[in-house]
Amino acid sequence: MSPWEKRERGGLYYTRSRKVDGRVEREYVGGGLLGQLAAQMDADKRRRREQAAAAWKAERENIQALEAPVAELCEAAEILARATLVAAGYRQHNRGEWRKRRGEHQEK
Amino acid sequence: MKDGNAASIHVEAIVELNTLLGPSQEGDAQALSRLTEILDELPELAKRVVDPAEQAMLSMVRIYAGDDPLLQEVLPRTLEAMKAELAGEYPSPLERLLVERVVATWFLLQYFEALYAQHRDELTMAQDYHHQNCLDRAQKRHLSAIRTLAQMRRLLKPTVAQVNIAEKQINLAGGEVPGISGQPHMRVG
Repeated sequence: MSPWEKRERGGLYYTRSRKVDGRVEREYVGGGLLGQLAAQMDADKRRRREQAAAAWKAERENIQALEAPVAELCEAAEILARATLVAAGYRQHNRGEWRKRRGEHQEK
Repeated sequence: MKDGNAASIHVEAIVELNTLLGPSQEGDAQALSRLTEILDELPELAKRVVDPAEQAMLSMVRIYAGDDPLLQEVLPRTLEAMKAELAGEYPSPLERLLVERVVATWFLLQYFEALYAQHRDELTMAQDYHHQNCLDRAQKRHLSAIRTLAQMRRLLKPTVAQVNIAEKQINLAGGEVPGISGQPHMRVG
């Protein structure tokens, strides 16, 4: 819906719409120069908000791009370390401590 | 072999290893044999895992150092020095991989902390929450990386065999398990 409302006696009137308690409330700002100024200010505010959102989205994507390979390295290293322990005769006890399997105790 | 193909093979190998962990621990000889077979390729697997993380670290170094030529020069050297110090003299392929992980997670944590400190005053609540989550994850990963390296060193410390040659006692250290042994440690006593 356009923020410019056509009046019966002619001319355009600038309005702002916002949601209050689930209902759309319309604020009548003004026509002529006042309406144009308010429209300009709202457009600037919207543009700044969109720019900030785009910058934040880019930063989030950047963080994710840097974090993902490190996360993969961690996951793979953990699996390889566990596999090496299993190959060396260890068994994880209750998802905690690693112990030598019976009959495979190292001689000290 | 094409690089993409090799990358998918290493992912498949690691996924397969993960599925073999349970049965191998339960004593399934066939699973254990396959697990050992895959571990024979550990040096190549480790390289495939480390390469993308190193690329990410280089990107972080570039962003972190910005236009500061001193930082651009010093940061990669600092990271290499850390790796060398943590790895010691004869690291096994697994130790090298775990050291890479410790350094990568440490640097990611530094990077997130710097990023947070830089933007702290201008963040919305949602953005602040997101940064805190990133920091928490990075810290957990780093602690886990240190714990695993320490655990591997404690549990897989090389067994020492004593051999006497020409009236000299030679201690040979090195495991039989694939991926554990680096260059054998020789100590003449």
